[in-house]
Amino acid sequence: MMAAHPPIRILTAVPICDGHDSAINTVNMELIRHGVEVIYLGYHRSVKAMVRAAIQEDVRTLGISSYNGGHVEFFSEVVKLLRKHGAGDIHVFGGGGGTITRADEVVMTRRGVDRIFFAGTSLSEIVAYVKKQYGGQRKVALPSLSKATHLTNRQLAKLLTAAETNIPIPSLKLQPPTGGCRTIGIAGPGGAGKTTLIDELVLRHLTLKPHARVAILSHDPSGSVSGGGALLGDRAPMIYSQDDRVFMRSLASRGHDGGLAACTRRCVQVLQRCGFELILIETVGIGQEAVPFRGGLTDRTVLVMSPDYGSRLQLQKIAMLDVADLVVVNKSDLGGAKTALSEIAQRLESNQRGQQLLTTVAKQHRNAGVDELFNKLVNP
Amino acid sequence: MSILAEINKAIGAHARQVERHVESARKDPVFRRKLLKRWKDVRGSVQTVTTPTGLKLPKLALPPTEEPAEIARYLYGEGLPGEFPFLNSAYPEMYLEPAPNSEIRIPKSEIEEPTRLFAGLGLADDTNKRFHYLTGQQRTVRLSTAFDGPTLYGMDSDAEGVLGKIGEGGVAIDTVEDMERLFAGFPLNDSNCSVSMTINGPAPTILALYIAAAKRKFGAGVVPKLRGTIQADILKEVQAQNENLFPLDASLRFLTDMVEYTTHHMSRWYPISISGYHIAEAGSTPIQQAAYTLSNGFTYVELFRKRGIDINKFGPRLSFFLDGSLDIEYLVLPRVCRKIWAIGMRDVFGADARAQMFKLHIQTSGRSLVAQDFKNNLTRTAVELLMACINATNSCHSNSADEPFTTPSEEYVRLAAHGQAILLEESGLFKHMMNTFGGSPGIKHVEKAVEEAILAEFDQIDRLGGVLSAVEHRYQRSQIQTAAHRYEQQIHSGVRPIIGLNRYADTKGEQAEPKVVRTPLGKQKRQVQRLRDFKRRHAKQSPKALDRLASVVENGGNVFAELIETVETCSLGQITERLQQIVGCYRPTV
Ligand code: B12
Repeated sequence: MMAAHPPIRILTAVPICDGHDSAINTVNMELIRHGVEVIYLGYHRSVKAMVRAAIQEDVRTLGISSYNGGHVEFFSEVVKLLRKHGAGDIHVFGGGGGTITRADEVVMTRRGVDRIFFAGTSLSEIVAYVKKQYGGQRKVALPSLSKATHLTNRQLAKLLTAAETNIPIPSLKLQPPTGGCRTIGIAGPGGAGKTTLIDELVLRHLTLKPHARVAILSHDPSGSVSGGGALLGDRAPMIYSQDDRVFMRSLASRGHDGGLAACTRRCVQVLQRCGFELILIETVGIGQEAVPFRGGLTDRTVLVMSPDYGSRLQLQKIAMLDVADLVVVNKSDLGGAKTALSEIAQRLESNQRGQQLLTTVAKQHRNAGVDELFNKLVNP
Repeated sequence: MSILAEINKAIGAHARQVERHVESARKDPVFRRKLLKRWKDVRGSVQTVTTPTGLKLPKLALPPTEEPAEIARYLYGEGLPGEFPFLNSAYPEMYLEPAPNSEIRIPKSEIEEPTRLFAGLGLADDTNKRFHYLTGQQRTVRLSTAFDGPTLYGMDSDAEGVLGKIGEGGVAIDTVEDMERLFAGFPLNDSNCSVSMTINGPAPTILALYIAAAKRKFGAGVVPKLRGTIQADILKEVQAQNENLFPLDASLRFLTDMVEYTTHHMSRWYPISISGYHIAEAGSTPIQQAAYTLSNGFTYVELFRKRGIDINKFGPRLSFFLDGSLDIEYLVLPRVCRKIWAIGMRDVFGADARAQMFKLHIQTSGRSLVAQDFKNNLTRTAVELLMACINATNSCHSNSADEPFTTPSEEYVRLAAHGQAILLEESGLFKHMMNTFGGSPGIKHVEKAVEEAILAEFDQIDRLGGVLSAVEHRYQRSQIQTAAHRYEQQIHSGVRPIIGLNRYADTKGEQAEPKVVRTPLGKQKRQVQRLRDFKRRHAKQSPKALDRLASVVENGGNVFAELIETVETCSLGQITERLQQIVGCYRPTV
């Protein structure tokens, strides 16, 4: 079910050299419980990384939780850089317990920060503020692009916001990438390691093609009871995708079944016209019946599994095994991987579609399995 | 089945063994005779002390019983202070004050000075000054170093985006020269001086910097004399404190290299401080704190043994670090931890007596301290300190009342140090008798409930395949986060009364905030200048040194031994970056 207004989308993060994430985790949980979509960038994040993410996600506001000092400089730099990119409509607010004093807040608000929440503020006060301050209808200002040959992150982000809200997209005359554009769908159950695998593929692509750009469209489920809030957390574990050549957008499923969002197709269509060589689409953690990529949405599809899917019988029920071009058994260092591999191989053979089966250990640096996957999938 | 299942079994077996002794005390005359003889000897050996008011007391508080079954339960189930299973304390005498004119002179190096105050601010020179100030308030030299954010994350002060964070919340250390400045004027070669360093992700590099600095001042012969602790507990970083630099496997290897080195060359060093503090401060329950800390500890033991390091050599060099907060569990938590550790080490790992001891540092809880009516924090800390000492912690840090706002100012640090002195030196609670508080029915009930809850948590982790596998499932993190959320909700709903915040709050409007300690930008820039100067002077040597380090990493040699050379010409950030190129970066978990 879609609410009357789309949910509020905000980005939260903890500054560089700071790992105090307990407060922000609690604030995130509380906001999600009250219907907010929180894109969480994680801790130890630079001004640049926060601003990049805020712009790409085109969030309403950026919430920063800072404890290790230097907050006056840090928050001010964030506001400054947002404005420099023409993204002054993205607000900044935050907290840091008692480490941010009232005198600091005066300076920070003067420099464009909306509000600082002091130590001991009740969680309900924070939720009420976010709803009131950032909850109203937001007008989507489409950039004029008739002559543009290259899109800034900011322009592209606005196009995606339009696609999300089903506003018609102006036609674009952009240069297609020299190598063409490849769209790859990556599905799999939660915990199989899709995000890690994507980040590792991105690393290889960026290294191999020093000028190529990559887009990632990542999905997470919206809560059904909690008034539709969602934790969009796929940015936090990314290492190599925190790069100016990578454009990432996180989407909540907003009640849409099957692993993607209602607006996914529109978003992919926009991305396909924007000069990316590689577009990676990550589904939410899917169930057995789901078949997310239909109707020519992608060029190739991958199913990522971990060896602990249960019995052979469970395997029979996984619908994606019938259609995926490539099946990856990640975490193949775990016990049971050998059995899993032979059972899945057998299952694929019976399909007689020449599907490929690979094993990876995505968490391992320079894993040879990931190299092979990259070569088969992205760089054939 | 993971090691935790074996630990659980061993605890059960130990309980049954105690019951068998109790049975024998009742039924077996030979056993009973021996037991009573021993009891008589113990009682007979207890000295009498006289308090300043003239009261005469036994130095050791034994249960007042002649009942053989009770004696057996006490001696085997709790143990005398300093005896297996160490429920009462790791060492017998703990905080007892030597009689003013006693003939027995304890060598100063043997004094276990409990007061250890965590300090670090600004640049190395500033912290050095604070160290000299603090040691002026103590009987021996016990330094405890806090590092700033960039250092904790293994970065240099000239890294992009860190200006503003340099020297905040701890001291900025980039090079061996900073390390020399940090400890200038302290006798690092003296057995009476001990230095603790709270750092984890880059711990091997930081310890290498420390060794290199000490060698510059005192010569190569100083290495085996160095005495102190480095935290280096990487598992709780994944679970709670978030300061990992490398993938876990690589971090564990670097750690094991360091432990191997210190075990062989620095027999007075504690190369790891297995910490629950950060777990609890991240919002866990007291039980989670204890269970995760102990299970992490057992995981390290397995790891070091697998490397072939002798458990009876490294076992005595493991130490622990727990949080002491206000919930009732804290009345007994360390006691129970000591017992579980001792039984696990003896009965599962076959470690000898010295390796069975759970040597403990407690820090009072920072999270229990609040900004509203912040001077109440003095009282909170005092209550926490009292519980820590009831639990016979080996050393202690008391937080300053301005904790919610800032790196403590001198005023509140002084009060925090005095809090411990008042408790241990001024009050009579701890200086006359050992084990004054153990053994009450209330304490025994809480002990039992806490022990059962910890073992149930072991069971959960075991079912996930043990600590490392549970970590991959995000189990500990997710449990801690849920507990933290509940804790905050309880504050805001009033279930958890916090005086001055949700009860008896001052309604007269805004309260004055204490003075905050900050590092001015000018000073931060000075650190950047110093670092650049160091890099310029070593521009020729450092690439070669890094290449040598890289080849040791690639060839599987002991990285720590090489690091001690590398730090002579390379900065912390240069080393971190090179290592990350080889082994990869840590991938954060949410
Ligand atoms: C918990 C804690 C830790 C835990 C963190 C665990 C974790 N994963 O988060 C541990 C033990 C690991 C830790 C470590 C360190 N800590 Co610490 N820590 C604290 C402590 C005790 C509480 C902070 C907290 O989480 N409170 C709970 C939250 C929920 O409440 P709150 O802070 O009042 O915040 C409220 C509002 O401000 C608001 N809020 C906060 N953020 C945001 C963001 C948004 C968007 C919104 C809307 C609202 C909001 O939400 C809350 C609602 O009531 C504080 C001291 C204190 N009592 O505050 C020190 C403190 C922050 N730490 C400090 C330091 C120095 C460190 C270390 C650098 C020490 C060192 N040298 O090793 C390390 C660094 C760790 C790292 N990786 O960065 C200093 C900072 C000093 C300074 N800036 O000058 C403090 C102030 C303690 C002190 N006085 O020295 N720490």
